[in-house]
Amino acid sequence: MLRPGALMRGMWTTFKSMFEKPVTVMYPQVKRPVSKRFKGRHELKRYDNGLEKCIGCALCAAACPADAIFVEASENTDEQRYSPGERYASTYEINFLRCIYCGFCEDACPTEAIVLGDNYELSYTNRSEAIYTREMLLVPVHPSAAPTPQKVAPGTFDRPIPEMEDPD
Amino acid sequence: MSELVKNEAAQNMVTLTIDDHTMSVPEGTLVVDAARSIGLDIPVFCYHPKMEPVGMCRMCLVEIGTPMRDRTTSEPILEDDGSPKIQFFPNLMTGCTFRASEGMVVRGYTEKVTAARKEVLEFLLTSHPLDCPTCDKGGECPLQNLTMQFGDGESRFIYDEKMHSAKHVALGDLIFLDRERCIQCARCTRFQDEIVDDQVIGFSNRGRALEIVTFSDPGFDSYWSGNTTDICPVGALTTADFRFGARPWEMNASASICNHCAVGCNLTFNTRREVKSGGEKIIKRVMPRQNEAVNEIWICDKGRFAYHFTASDQRLNQPLIRKDGKLVPSSWELALDLVTSRFKNAGENLVTLAGGRLSNEDLFNLAELSAHLGGDALLYSDMAGGDLVSRLGVGEGTNFSDMGPETAILVVACNLEEEAPLWWLRIKQAAERGAKVIVANPRKTKLDRSAIHNLRYEYGQEAGLVTALLSAISPKQPKSPAFVNKLAKDKEVKAAAKALSEAENTVILFGSEGTSYAASAALAQACANLLIASGHIGRPNNGLIGVWDKGNAQGAWDMGLRPSEDLDAALKTSQAVYISAADPAGDSKQYASALKKADFVVVQELYMTATAELADVVLPAQAFTEREGTYTSGERRVQRFYPAVPSLPDLLPDFGITAEIAGRLGLELEKTAPASVMLQIAEVVPDYAELTYQKLAKVEKQFPLIGREDVYYGGTSYQNSQGLGVQLKPAAQNGDSPVLVITELPEVKLSGEELLAVPVTRLLDLGNTVTPSEVLVTRLAKPHVALHPQDAEKLGVEWGSKVKLILNGSTQTVLVEFDNSMPHGVVLVPRSLGIPIISPTPATIKVL
Amino acid sequence: MTALQDKHEKEIKHILAKYPTDEKRSAVMPLLYIAQRKAGYVTKQDMLEIAELLSISTTEVASIVGFYTLYHDKSGGKYRIQVCNDLPCALRGSGQFLEELCENLGVQVGETSSDGILSVEAVMCLAACDKAPMFQVQSHSDISYHENQTVESALQTIEKWRAEETDK
Repeated sequence: MLRPGALMRGMWTTFKSMFEKPVTVMYPQVKRPVSKRFKGRHELKRYDNGLEKCIGCALCAAACPADAIFVEASENTDEQRYSPGERYASTYEINFLRCIYCGFCEDACPTEAIVLGDNYELSYTNRSEAIYTREMLLVPVHPSAAPTPQKVAPGTFDRPIPEMEDPD
Repeated sequence: MSELVKNEAAQNMVTLTIDDHTMSVPEGTLVVDAARSIGLDIPVFCYHPKMEPVGMCRMCLVEIGTPMRDRTTSEPILEDDGSPKIQFFPNLMTGCTFRASEGMVVRGYTEKVTAARKEVLEFLLTSHPLDCPTCDKGGECPLQNLTMQFGDGESRFIYDEKMHSAKHVALGDLIFLDRERCIQCARCTRFQDEIVDDQVIGFSNRGRALEIVTFSDPGFDSYWSGNTTDICPVGALTTADFRFGARPWEMNASASICNHCAVGCNLTFNTRREVKSGGEKIIKRVMPRQNEAVNEIWICDKGRFAYHFTASDQRLNQPLIRKDGKLVPSSWELALDLVTSRFKNAGENLVTLAGGRLSNEDLFNLAELSAHLGGDALLYSDMAGGDLVSRLGVGEGTNFSDMGPETAILVVACNLEEEAPLWWLRIKQAAERGAKVIVANPRKTKLDRSAIHNLRYEYGQEAGLVTALLSAISPKQPKSPAFVNKLAKDKEVKAAAKALSEAENTVILFGSEGTSYAASAALAQACANLLIASGHIGRPNNGLIGVWDKGNAQGAWDMGLRPSEDLDAALKTSQAVYISAADPAGDSKQYASALKKADFVVVQELYMTATAELADVVLPAQAFTEREGTYTSGERRVQRFYPAVPSLPDLLPDFGITAEIAGRLGLELEKTAPASVMLQIAEVVPDYAELTYQKLAKVEKQFPLIGREDVYYGGTSYQNSQGLGVQLKPAAQNGDSPVLVITELPEVKLSGEELLAVPVTRLLDLGNTVTPSEVLVTRLAKPHVALHPQDAEKLGVEWGSKVKLILNGSTQTVLVEFDNSMPHGVVLVPRSLGIPIISPTPATIKVL
Repeated sequence: MTALQDKHEKEIKHILAKYPTDEKRSAVMPLLYIAQRKAGYVTKQDMLEIAELLSISTTEVASIVGFYTLYHDKSGGKYRIQVCNDLPCALRGSGQFLEELCENLGVQVGETSSDGILSVEAVMCLAACDKAPMFQVQSHSDISYHENQTVESALQTIEKWRAEETDK
């Protein structure tokens, strides 16, 4: 048997909340900032000079517990240079249906090339769309720098793995 | 160590203690090997079980002690508890140079040793670039592994002060050197020097500045260069072929057998699915697989690099039928129905011609189909004697590694390093152990360096020479031609004959240097006679080996196929020709015109060869990398290969296609499971009785122990986990007692002005399965001929110049090379370079 | 016959006669010495010819030239000043000695002075550790040791040679 007092108390709670500050936001018009250590969609970073940080070592793929990353390497030439070292990733794919956003790839990367970013807005209309290619993952080139592949003077880059800082 | 362990009974055994494990090993066993034999790992870099120890890297430092003896009485001094008192060397000793002795005590994991290892590693890494992420060796690198296991994790040296040197030095076109990564262990230079006798790489300078150099032309000019990348304990030597190809852990491994020559080296194909190849799974590299009875842990560069043919985009991928003079795509049904109806019509006028690179299963089904119709099953080969090899071949249990002073090895009409590189290597090593190697060849070959007798004869006299050897042993010979009698009186021939007959074991290898089919038949028979007369048959390490031109030629003989004495006529008179894995039209214009005359030609192939161009029906087949099967080597070892990559869609294996045709002709043959074909072979072919795929897949422990888990020992060769194969017993071992058959010796006659063109073999030729490997392009022989320098002078041609060669009615422009060890009046024409040569033929050379 | 053999037929014959015919390789050192006498270094062609003469590989000959400090594969000055900078010498200050010497002479290590009279090289042990800093000089097929050196004393000696050369 429902007591009338209880009903009124419920109605009062509802009425009261009309004057409280809402906890939800109007997504997608309004977006909440993510935490500093948020792990969202990956990005492949570049140096300031536009060259790609990734050297195609596939250690991210080796570290990946979900087997979501596929890397294939090729050799740089001074005519067509993608990264400062001898080798670059000619294929770099992440399957975001598999990815568990653990960030092991980021830990494994010797050149800090693969970084989990802020983007969490991932939706696909079919499974193959969930595979992001190298071109999709690479961050845009800085306006002052040239896109890859670059043509450089012979002997400009002779180290297999560049120092961690930007080479120049 | 292999010999040491195998001959335990014959050796003095000593007892030593390593880290509280007491063991008995043959006297003279190195401490590292002794430890390894019971699973204790003393880390090494420069030491390699196949080479002499040098103690250069200091990684194997251990504490070694020996029992103390009283100096006056030489009685052992005992501790209070009665155990012998051990005196340790004041310094750490290198375990790789120290040999086990009675009562020795080794400590491999004391504080002192562990500290020393840390320091050695720290020191080796002072100049190492630590570029493991981009290094092709990363993941299977001894330096990486040992640093993880024994290293300190930190260095007192400053990273920025690392010495930098050249990182991408091409030692020739196949091998790259990274000077920064080199730890100066000398495994590569020692391999080239000790094992393959090609001193084409060496150390230059000293200390920090020491570097590997090559001064040969072309750089690193050796058929064995790829092996140095296997045994390099760091990423200093890597192949151009695999450069940045994949990380080692990403690839799958499939066991296989090399089919480029008759040795049958055990291989592992490393495969990976890749975007560059359109998402297909492809072979990324070829690695040796250990089989101490076949190829040990080595393979030649042809086996290592000439594998690209299976992934070539020139592969046939659908059946073709000739319509209005043109080959047009067709369905399998249509093509097979057409073939069936024509074969039925042809009946016993069907000629089946198969190449020696087909598997036993393919050849068996071909032979069965041919027998069903009553036609001829022919092997496309210019060599004879496979039937003799199956009767008098080497006995079960033959292993070149076991051969020593009690064995004589005759190699006749064969440039062994070119025709079967691994046999050259193993016979050279047998010679180093004391085996008496006798080389009979008209010109110098690399094996001459290992021979105690070098017998020279004129091209065409090979059978005569062997007969001369025979008559030196048993004087009761029927009348021989004058040249044989003359050869028999030669001092060197007599000495060689003595060595052959007196040896406890004798093996004869016959090749195809300068032989026609008829000459080959005579040679094989002469070799057989020699073995029968001297009683060297039916036992292990005795018998006849054919250095076949193709990987499974012996298997083809065993399956009942025979080369034709007159292929030209056979093709011309046939009503239907069924050619599989052979390209007669590409080899000779004569065969091409014969095929044009044939009524109906079916070609089962991988590519659009010259022969396929002439076909009425072309049936595409799977490559051996896409399927299972077995090959029989020249030593009659049946070995299994496994599928490495998926087949192109809609293709069948050769035996499957044959079975499809046979099925339509009312003959049930196995079309899907090669293991079932083997069961049928076992029923029909007596020598193969009881052979099953399970038996072929058996493995046993091999010495030296190498393995992927501890790559620091044998390098990156694969351990054998998928089968050592089975060596067949020759009939002679099953009680067959053959008798001498004296055949007439062929002779070649020339008119005055002409030169005699003789076919010889080059390893890196322009064969269909070699040329698709781009990495080898600069190493492949160009169309050339070789002349004696004096003949060349007479003709007025210089080294490297172009001349016109008129041969078998065709004219061709070729380069000229010199060979001052060859006879006069002869021009050497390598096979498979596009110059039509099948047998010794008169030829004319015209200066351009 | 090769160029080297043409020029020094008698001498080469004499040298080869000292060794058994199947151990001809032992003659490699004296033959290199002959080859080096004229130009002060061994040319690649000479190495090729010596290799052929002794039935060894060119690489082996080149290794020997590379190993010994007294053989050279590049042209140098008339006076080759070779400073040992192995560990014991380095502890006695040979590193600084070499550096200062080069500074004073205006020549880089491993290079030749512009007048072609001097070249300075850093080499491995010369067996005079107790008298470091020291250097050896190869000139006119003579070798002399100069021990317990200071930069001043070395420069004095070098000036003397310079003067001698310009007098000629």
